[in-house]
Amino acid sequence: MLMKKNNLIPLFLLTFFFNATEIFAAGTEGTEQVLPNPIMVLPFAILLLMIATGPLFYHHFWERNYPKISIFLGSITVVYYLVWLNDTHSLLHTAHEYISFIALLSSLYVATGGILIKVDRKATPLLNVVILLFGSLIANIIGTTGASMLLIRPFIKINKDRIKPYHIIFFIFSVSNIGGALTPIGDPPLFLGFLRGINFFWFFGHIWYIWIPTLLMVLIIFYIVDSFNKEGNTEDINYTNKIEFKGSKNLIYLLIVLISVFLDPGIISWVPSFSPLPFGIREIIMFSVVWLSYKTADKKNLEANEFNFEPIREVAFLFVGIFASMIPALQLIAYEAKVYGQQLTPGIFYWATGILSAFLDNAPTFLNFLSASLGKYAYDVNVKTQVLEFSELYPFYLQAISIAAVFFGAMTYIGNGPNFMVKAISERSGIKMPSFFGYLIKYSVPILLPIFIILYFVVYHGKV
Amino acid sequence: MRKLDEVLKNNLNGLHYGNRVLLPFQADILKAVIENDIITDFSSTKSGASYKVREDFTEIYFYDYEILSEVIKEFEKIKLIIVEKGNDIFDFSNHRKIALSIEEKHKITISEINDDTLLFIE
Repeated sequence: MLMKKNNLIPLFLLTFFFNATEIFAAGTEGTEQVLPNPIMVLPFAILLLMIATGPLFYHHFWERNYPKISIFLGSITVVYYLVWLNDTHSLLHTAHEYISFIALLSSLYVATGGILIKVDRKATPLLNVVILLFGSLIANIIGTTGASMLLIRPFIKINKDRIKPYHIIFFIFSVSNIGGALTPIGDPPLFLGFLRGINFFWFFGHIWYIWIPTLLMVLIIFYIVDSFNKEGNTEDINYTNKIEFKGSKNLIYLLIVLISVFLDPGIISWVPSFSPLPFGIREIIMFSVVWLSYKTADKKNLEANEFNFEPIREVAFLFVGIFASMIPALQLIAYEAKVYGQQLTPGIFYWATGILSAFLDNAPTFLNFLSASLGKYAYDVNVKTQVLEFSELYPFYLQAISIAAVFFGAMTYIGNGPNFMVKAISERSGIKMPSFFGYLIKYSVPILLPIFIILYFVVYHGKV
Repeated sequence: MRKLDEVLKNNLNGLHYGNRVLLPFQADILKAVIENDIITDFSSTKSGASYKVREDFTEIYFYDYEILSEVIKEFEKIKLIIVEKGNDIFDFSNHRKIALSIEEKHKITISEINDDTLLFIE
């Protein structure tokens, strides 16, 4: 019986391409929408394929043309929704999520870009583990993007005589992804859940006991791998063991970003809503932080950080195409989730959310599976009290979806925004990073996947 | 022929025209990082980069970029690991890390990279 239920995962992920023809309740706002034609998943599939193969097989064509390609493929979906489906609601909703997403990422990116941390210590596996652990912890306060941008350069610099791609990969695994699973600020999917009514501390209360062993497993593997790295014999160098912190005024900007996260009409009643405009006061504040923190930053810090807008520009362009072109895929998934709702276990939600979060953006993926799991118990994702009640009565489902959305984001470069940024900074520092498939085959599948399988068997296997 | 130390001490500039960079000293180039590109193969004359050591200067062509000044932004640098002509290329202490800033009027500012300035892994 259980095997049969587990077999639903591929069925769940694949069959929606072929049997979605009905009218369905969208789930996100309670309005009725026509299901998109499954063929409209093609622009999204092409974009994902190009993101995966472009840097590998036609690097410079891709470097020069990815903005146009991304916008073109996204536009196909936009035109389809506007002209064929006459559905502006889905587009506006997606635009709002995209603007929130890019506002948060860019403000954290620019604000941390003006901060310079120098650590003059001898690199050891233990010190590296401490840095990764510290980064994973602060990811819950300043987000995985903020923590990644703040620590990636000092991490590379400390290890400059012994740096290997695996250092960066484990940094992405822990600081850029798994670390941020404890608070809604940590990772965008959890933030969307918080906006929908989940208690701010729910995530910490229900995830910490999975977060600790998962992170420990990753760090132990890193420690073992790093212990074999005998390069960079720097015994003759005298280290001061000093830690220098420059650009502390940017901490104020970070604080402003963190406070503005809560400035949402859905959370605080007096916060004005600009609906139907696809942004709010929060996004205005965040974009203001981008401008102010850049203009007032110490130029020496920016220079030492080799600050430039290219990484965030790359994320902005790629994700505008991803967000737009994935609308049909997400709606078809939501539909299938409702069809199979009664048969879906936390384990199936775990794998389905995880696999899709590895290749799609994890924020809307999270929201759709949240909607599906709520639908299973006749709750509505748009009613905050129902979401709150669901999180208290059926925490296992929400836990499985939350963990999968955050953890599986580490599986590919495109699983989470900071992954791309960390990769770009590393390459600009002279570190040759593995390709999309190299990352997947050499690192994610052999290291992360077994951990996620263990997690499944320990926590979700056999649970209904 | 000018030496690198002399160039650095006197703040002598290099030049850039389109995708061509001229450095006012003679050097072999071991590694170049431009944007996300890490170039260690200088044998091609179609992609990546190639360089020629002339009598009074070294010229580099970055084939994948048409106009460098349009690509390299304010705080960005082209980073090179070089060995000055006449020095033993196999002696790591002769490997020098330099950063090139693209300025206006075809000017390139040359600075030496140390651990306190920029992050550049050999």
